[in-house]
Amino acid sequence: MPHTNPRRSHALTATLLAVVLTASTACGDDAPGTSASGSIKIGLLASLSGTYQAVGTEIRDGFQLYLDTHDGKLGGRKVDLVVADEGNGAQTAVPAATKLLKQDRVAALTGIVGGGSVAGVTPLLDETKVPLVGSNGRPELKDVSRVWHTSYLSDEPGAAIAQHVRDNVQGSVYAIGPDYQGGWDELRGFTDAFGKIGGKLANTDGKTTFTPFPTTTNFTPYFARIKASGAAAVYTFYAGSAAVDFVKQYAQSEIKDVPLYAAGFLTEGGVLNAQGEAARDIFSVLNYSPDLDNAENRAFVAAWKAKHDGSPTTYALASYDAAAVLDRAIGAAGSNPTPEAINTAIGQLGQIASPRGTWQFSTSTHSPVQKWYLRQVRQDGRALSNTVVGDLATVGR
Amino acid sequence: MTVVAAGLNRIDPYLIPALDGVAYGLLVFVAASGLVFCFGVANILNLAHGLLYAIGGYTAAAVLDGGWASLALALVVGVLAAAAAGVLLAGLLTPVATGNHLGQALLTFGVALAGGSLLVAGFGPDDPQVRVPAALEGSVVVAGHRYAAYRLVFIVVAAVLATALYLVVRRTRAGMLVRAAVDDPEMVACLGVSPARIRAGVLAAAGALAGAAGVLGAPIIGPGTGTADTVLLLSLVVVVLGGLGSMGGTLLAALAIGEIQTLGVALLPSAAPFLLFAAMAAVLAVRAQGLAGTWRAA
Amino acid sequence: MRDEVVRRARGAVAALVLAGLVVAPWAVDDYTTAILARTLALALVGVSVALLTGVAGMPTLGQTAPYAAGAYACAVLGSRISDVGVVQLAVAAAAGAVLAALTVPLVVHARGVIVLMITLAIGELVVTVLGRWRSVTGGTDGLAGIPAVRPFWGLPPLASDQARYLYALVVVATLVGAVLVLLRTRAGLLLRAGRDDETRLRASGHRVPLYVAGAHVAAGAIAGAAGSLLVVAQQYISPADFGFDTSALLLLGVVIGGTASVGGALVGAALVIAVRDWLFGVLPGHAPLVLGVLFVATVYLLPGGVSRARGRLRPPRAASARSDAPPARDRATIPELRR
Repeated sequence: MPHTNPRRSHALTATLLAVVLTASTACGDDAPGTSASGSIKIGLLASLSGTYQAVGTEIRDGFQLYLDTHDGKLGGRKVDLVVADEGNGAQTAVPAATKLLKQDRVAALTGIVGGGSVAGVTPLLDETKVPLVGSNGRPELKDVSRVWHTSYLSDEPGAAIAQHVRDNVQGSVYAIGPDYQGGWDELRGFTDAFGKIGGKLANTDGKTTFTPFPTTTNFTPYFARIKASGAAAVYTFYAGSAAVDFVKQYAQSEIKDVPLYAAGFLTEGGVLNAQGEAARDIFSVLNYSPDLDNAENRAFVAAWKAKHDGSPTTYALASYDAAAVLDRAIGAAGSNPTPEAINTAIGQLGQIASPRGTWQFSTSTHSPVQKWYLRQVRQDGRALSNTVVGDLATVGR
Repeated sequence: MTVVAAGLNRIDPYLIPALDGVAYGLLVFVAASGLVFCFGVANILNLAHGLLYAIGGYTAAAVLDGGWASLALALVVGVLAAAAAGVLLAGLLTPVATGNHLGQALLTFGVALAGGSLLVAGFGPDDPQVRVPAALEGSVVVAGHRYAAYRLVFIVVAAVLATALYLVVRRTRAGMLVRAAVDDPEMVACLGVSPARIRAGVLAAAGALAGAAGVLGAPIIGPGTGTADTVLLLSLVVVVLGGLGSMGGTLLAALAIGEIQTLGVALLPSAAPFLLFAAMAAVLAVRAQGLAGTWRAA
Repeated sequence: MRDEVVRRARGAVAALVLAGLVVAPWAVDDYTTAILARTLALALVGVSVALLTGVAGMPTLGQTAPYAAGAYACAVLGSRISDVGVVQLAVAAAAGAVLAALTVPLVVHARGVIVLMITLAIGELVVTVLGRWRSVTGGTDGLAGIPAVRPFWGLPPLASDQARYLYALVVVATLVGAVLVLLRTRAGLLLRAGRDDETRLRASGHRVPLYVAGAHVAAGAIAGAAGSLLVVAQQYISPADFGFDTSALLLLGVVIGGTASVGGALVGAALVIAVRDWLFGVLPGHAPLVLGVLFVATVYLLPGGVSRARGRLRPPRAASARSDAPPARDRATIPELRR
């Protein structure tokens, strides 16, 4: 090491070793997941900092709400919930998941905002034999034997709304979305189903327009193209900041009178407040809306509003349902709910009563077979909110 | 006659993107102009510059209520808050030697990380709503197209701001000092102006400019978890492309980036994700080659 | 005399650290071992960053590009050719070197902050390509299900965290040793001389751009090899592993460790990455805040260290804007080098 200040590099090396050794003292040798006192360890991984913090917080709060309304127990056992931060994606999600699985040795993992994070965590699930009950992102996976999702497959919202758009729009539809896996899947779901029933895209080459993600903050050039294409309606999917920019700029653009249809995330949760008036009248498709009229939903919304400002989102709902799934599966897994036993029990749950209506896991994809709803942004008291205006298809395979 | 009409028809879809490129470019210029001072004058690589913009943006979201008075108030509060943050940053930078860019990068990157999380902790993870005065909320017709009224007004305001900035740097004593400091820092130190005061003054000015850009630009690049990073990246790109310390060069670079991000995207949508960085790498590499060439010839 | 003592002390500490790292997997739990394996891969990229930033005088934010090339070449191509680690390492290092060679014309004449921005652009462009080239890279969701490697012909595949960690440790130790030896040769001397006084070296007939290009390709090969280690440690890769935050953290880690020192860079990069990963696990939601405060604190706690970093990214005068002066590099650091 030429030209090094030896004292300094020694100090650094010592610090590194100290970090390693302190971290190592935290390790325990319990059997995975359960402890002698009959409690059970569940790991929750969600983006609690960074770009997806809003969604990650909803996911943590949805799971916590279920615990709070059920005496902090799942399947009759006290839950020791270990939370870790997924950050912006796989590069931080994988080490955090490694901690939950290999140091805390949780019996089951839940949460995870990003599809890429889920893909990154799956090799760890195979290695540690722990099931994941995911509540948001769902990538394409070859092997889903230990992966369950209470959310949806990314191509399902588009597939569910295609028939409605075909029936109600006179003319061609312009498809536009963000350029990453989630955007490709969401838009493919729509364009495939729409094409199959004879719908025509207004895009110049008949292919969806994809905008660089997350770098696009200015959609004006795309609106100029949509205007030039003469589309009778637009179908899109954006979430988070991009959804705010898209909707606000749409409302001020030269295509502001062209009807806008979207996957529900465009106007879901906090983004709707930021969009304000610009979001009025947008149609969207989602598996949940806080104004659904059933007993489970009334209880869920009341419990949520007692703790938080505003209404619960589909993100919070999916996490609440993940807790419900684990509740029943742990209860059914017998006196020794090992990760393997919980995984088997999830596969035998059957119908699950939920605030979104009753649903069940598909046996092939391990994601919900559920009903989708058509919603429109309308005045609700003083604020704008997503109001259910009709039922769409039941989707799932 | 028909040829002219056909030509007009062909450029017609690109009019609005071209206009929007000017709005976007001017915003990037106002946001980046503070960084020109930092890097060009005080020789400070300030990676917390995006944070200063975000402070302005969040102030706008918190103060604006749809009235004109709130816009004026937001501008004053945003400029003061961001300038104060700039002075604070100058204080933190005291132990780092001038010109030690990697040390400055370490410190200011840390401040940006920590400050960014504090902003999100204070204002919440959701993007806040920005309510501009009602008269600017809608859209106006420009050459037969609808265009956001706010952006049109913003172009005028930002152009005035850019001109004022140019005049201040060119014509006033402070501006002369600033230019002198770029050319010969030792000489300015000899004149009895302490480097610490120059540093504090420059960072306060940089903060004020970034804060003003944050308030006025909030309806265009709105406050949110990713705002600071976006603005920092764009500012660094235009400052470096503009030749490190030249206001005119930075303005040209900002307008070019604005057009690349709008007109370029409209013309070449399939190349959109590559345009910004490919253009930057090409320009910088060619310029470096040119420098090396002239030097070898000399 | 004093030099002799210092050198011996340094050797002893290095041996102690190496011994500690070898026995570590038996002293700590699986989580720590897995994190250490992944950290080793990133620390090796840190070494390549230091080679360019400190030794060749080219501060870089783009070493994630050859790192990504190596990782994807290893995962896509290497795993089809052979499941032997050494072969995959060679493929990955070659891919990294090729990518670095392709970008040489862009960076070889630039200096200081200009290199920083060009390499940043290269890194971002590579990540964009990786995200869009779905048929090969698996797109933004990344590549999972990469088969386990066997380190050498006849050995069993790496199936445990300990095995993967030890494999990474052996590779990193070998490559870092090779770099250290190489830097003691004439090539290393010329590289440092070019950094410190380019004009004088040119005047004495040396072709500085050639040395810089050579260092760039070598650093690319090292980063590529590190990519292959990431594949082994993580069994999954995605464009997110090679984004701007990774390159920024690596550069800062190298600055903390001392840019001109390969050992320091290794430790600095490892420390920054390990602390980041650890914080996301133990302080959910507060990791960026704490990390930011730690960076600021580092500047204050190691004032000598950080200011010793070869940090000048632009000359005191705006020489880069003038054509009459050579683009000066790191003049401020000459006296310190002779210490």
